[in-house]
Amino acid sequence: MFHVLLALAGDDLHGYAILKEVELRTGGKVKLSTGTLYGIIKRLLADGLIVERRARPTDANDDERRRYYRLTPQGREVAAAEAERMDEVLSIARARNLLRKPRPA
Amino acid sequence: MDATDSRATRLYRALLKLLPFDFRGDFGPEMETVFHEQRKEAARRGGIAGVLRLWWETIVGIFKTAPGEHAAMFAQDAGFALRMMRKNPGYTLAAVLTLGLGIGANSAIFSVVNAVLLKPLPYEHGDRLVVMRQRMGALNQGFSPSDTNDYRTQSRSLDGLVEYHNMNFILLGRSEPERVETGVVSWNYFDVFGVKPLFGRNFRPEDEQHGAPAVLMLSYEYWIKSFGGDPTVVNKTFTMNDKIHTVIGVLPPVPQYPDENDVYMPTTACPFRSDPATIANRRARMVQVFGRMKADTAVSQAQADLSGVAANLQKAYPKDYPEGNNYSVKAEALEEALTHNARPTMLVLLAAAGFVLLIACANVANLNLSRMVRRERELAVRAALGAGRVRMFRQLLTESFLLAVIGGGLGLVFSWGALNLLISFAARFTPRAREIHMDSTVLLFTLAVAVLTSILSGTAPALAARDTVVDGLKEGGAQSTIGVGRRRMRSALIVAQVAVSFLLLIGAGLMLRSFMKLQHVDPGFQPENVLTMEIALDFVKYDTNDKQRAFFETLLEKTQAQSGVQSAAASMMIPFTSGMTMTGDFQIEGQAAEPGQAMPKADFRIVSPTYFEALHIPILNGRGFLQSDRPGHPDVAVVNRTAARHIWGAKDPAGSRFSTDGGRTWTQVVGVVGDIKQYGLDKDVVDEIYVPMAQNPMGQASLVIKTAVEPMSIARGVIELLHGVDPNQPAARVRSLEQVRAESVAAPRLTSNLLSIFALLALTIAATGIGGVMALAVGQRRHEIGVRMAIGARPVEILRMVLSQGMGLALVGIVLGLLGAFALTRLLQGLLFEVGPTDPLTFVGVAAVLSAATLLACYVPARRASRVDPIIALRVE
Repeated sequence: MFHVLLALAGDDLHGYAILKEVELRTGGKVKLSTGTLYGIIKRLLADGLIVERRARPTDANDDERRRYYRLTPQGREVAAAEAERMDEVLSIARARNLLRKPRPA
Repeated sequence: MDATDSRATRLYRALLKLLPFDFRGDFGPEMETVFHEQRKEAARRGGIAGVLRLWWETIVGIFKTAPGEHAAMFAQDAGFALRMMRKNPGYTLAAVLTLGLGIGANSAIFSVVNAVLLKPLPYEHGDRLVVMRQRMGALNQGFSPSDTNDYRTQSRSLDGLVEYHNMNFILLGRSEPERVETGVVSWNYFDVFGVKPLFGRNFRPEDEQHGAPAVLMLSYEYWIKSFGGDPTVVNKTFTMNDKIHTVIGVLPPVPQYPDENDVYMPTTACPFRSDPATIANRRARMVQVFGRMKADTAVSQAQADLSGVAANLQKAYPKDYPEGNNYSVKAEALEEALTHNARPTMLVLLAAAGFVLLIACANVANLNLSRMVRRERELAVRAALGAGRVRMFRQLLTESFLLAVIGGGLGLVFSWGALNLLISFAARFTPRAREIHMDSTVLLFTLAVAVLTSILSGTAPALAARDTVVDGLKEGGAQSTIGVGRRRMRSALIVAQVAVSFLLLIGAGLMLRSFMKLQHVDPGFQPENVLTMEIALDFVKYDTNDKQRAFFETLLEKTQAQSGVQSAAASMMIPFTSGMTMTGDFQIEGQAAEPGQAMPKADFRIVSPTYFEALHIPILNGRGFLQSDRPGHPDVAVVNRTAARHIWGAKDPAGSRFSTDGGRTWTQVVGVVGDIKQYGLDKDVVDEIYVPMAQNPMGQASLVIKTAVEPMSIARGVIELLHGVDPNQPAARVRSLEQVRAESVAAPRLTSNLLSIFALLALTIAATGIGGVMALAVGQRRHEIGVRMAIGARPVEILRMVLSQGMGLALVGIVLGLLGAFALTRLLQGLLFEVGPTDPLTFVGVAAVLSAATLLACYVPARRASRVDPIIALRVE
């Protein structure tokens, strides 16, 4: 779920783009399928963390048929809170020398 | 490329069907597009392997998401349903109660059917156990020890053969001497049955040796009743009769067949059975035999094998298996023997409970229909706006399901509470009654019934509402009327309710009539004001004929003198029981039996002289017994009328002589008495020959005491007299003959009571349902009625119009019910006594009752219709 929010934090995306973005960001480790993705999208919509956007974007590549999803302010807050939480956890782990190797820059 | 594409799309669409309808509506097309793109990329990057991997991941993804989505949807629907139920408490209560009763009745009867008919016997290898019977013609005989031995050694289809018979011991050392019902069995009896003791051990071969220490096993019920379930009872000792017996084990609760025993002992415990004379006498047929077939043997194979042994025995000992007697041996599966009494009744009751549930479902369905009618406009508008009719109907189904589940829970509680009643009811038909439990099978069945109920009561209105949109939007104004589809469905439901009620009422009516006929059967004697009790003499103390005779004569003399006693008598057997039957064949003086022809046979009854007087059995010819008929005087006998006609024919039997020992001694018939229904009111009279107790003493007899007062009131006094004669002699089965008679017809009485309850329940549900529907219909047609009255219709015409519409439906229902009854009641044949399955009186009666009930149900709303004020009705526009 967080992966989807994270993906939408950068830009409004449509379904397929979200799938590709998540796959890219996690280096192929998290591959969502259509079933799981839209289950997540439905819940995010219901919780008001994302909204649908029908207006055509300015980018000529985008398809007018597609539905774009955009993070709402609440969604952005939730994503931020989750990111901060993870950051905190990471600092503690780093401090205790739990991480095996330094992350590539 | 295109062909593959479209195939893939179709496949994906089919896969999407796993997801809820709404979800598909919201995201389906988008998901298809995304998947299409995924496929293109997967093909580009990974070829066939890539595409297949994508398919796999997608399928897994759908399977992971689908359950959650369905559950979320259900939760939402359920929440909405619960809110609706809280807002309409009246409807909710009515529906839950109705369904609860219907589901509960089915659950209760099913728990009986499950335990008695469906579950396998609680014995290891229970399906291999058989009951063996020896028959001479149509009569069942026991086996002699010699018979048993031969069958054991000569049969090839059995890997275990054990014997059983029943006797009484007397337990001393308590406040009163107690009779102990004892099963006397082969040492490996429980091993063959596959029963392991709860505590202690089974018998071993050493226990059945002569001179072995006396041991016994306690039955579960006796262990609970007399020893309070004390687990330390093993190795305790008790004095019974003259011997000290050690308890070696306690049995688990298993069905006891053919008798309920308190304890079990090996065969060496019974002096008669162990007597060398008995063992040597091939005709001393006193035990019953059970066998266990070898694995993978069918009963038919065992039967063939045993019949072969029977033929060998007949050839080897022709005198003991006389040709004319039509000797045969039968093997019956034990499971069959334990359950065949119960099967017809229980299945009829299950069907009846099913009918009650159908009627309840119809009621709730009609209620649902009416509720939908009220929301007709709202539903139509929503449907027109595309708000998902599927969603609405799913909502309705969820409501029905929740109602059914709550009702089912209520029903389960009800049948759990009635469990003890159920067990005591079923116990009259089968010893497996004790196995009746609320187990997981019953719970699953109840759940299944609840689901079925919800489907039946929820979908009917949903299906009928196909024309919602058009009709609902057509009506101008707030007054909504019922669509054609719904009206038809409503009428169909009413017709169905009436028809099924008819079936139930017919069933109950036939059973009631049958039972009443049974009640009115003349037993041939007067059972009123007769006290009975069984006295089994201590066979160690009273080991000679003289002692036995003296005991009973003394006791009878003392009892006769007791106040409140009109006649004190004794008999080997009391009417309405069959325990101590003695069938014997005999030859009539001057009528030698031809070789190959069967000898005349009759049931012999040993009675005291006052027996006929005590029961008011008329003496038709000659005389009864006198005090002078005793040892030292000629042996006499009295025959019943059926024996006289059947065996002596036109000749008067008085004066004729017969012999039961091949001509060594002769007995003279001195009289003929009236027939009595010895074995039961519904059983035929048999040939009976009575002989006097003084000349044929017995170690066990029942007192038969005609009283001037309520019989049980002097019971205590008689028992004290008994203890005055012998303080260590117990009396058992102390009851009035009326009680015995009531017991003997308890099964049909309870069955017809239960069926009547079901039928009345069904009638009430149906009548209230019809009344409610009629009232609603009238309410909806108020406008129309107002118009009619305004143009001149009189109230009585409106009344007649509404009534005739309601009764028209009822009539169709009655006719359908009639046809159904003609077809189905022959299934009741086995349960009916002297009543045909198409008994016209019952059919007419039921039709009348049902017509009256439906008339009453329709009358109230019809009257209200006729009272409509046209001005008010027309005002609402």
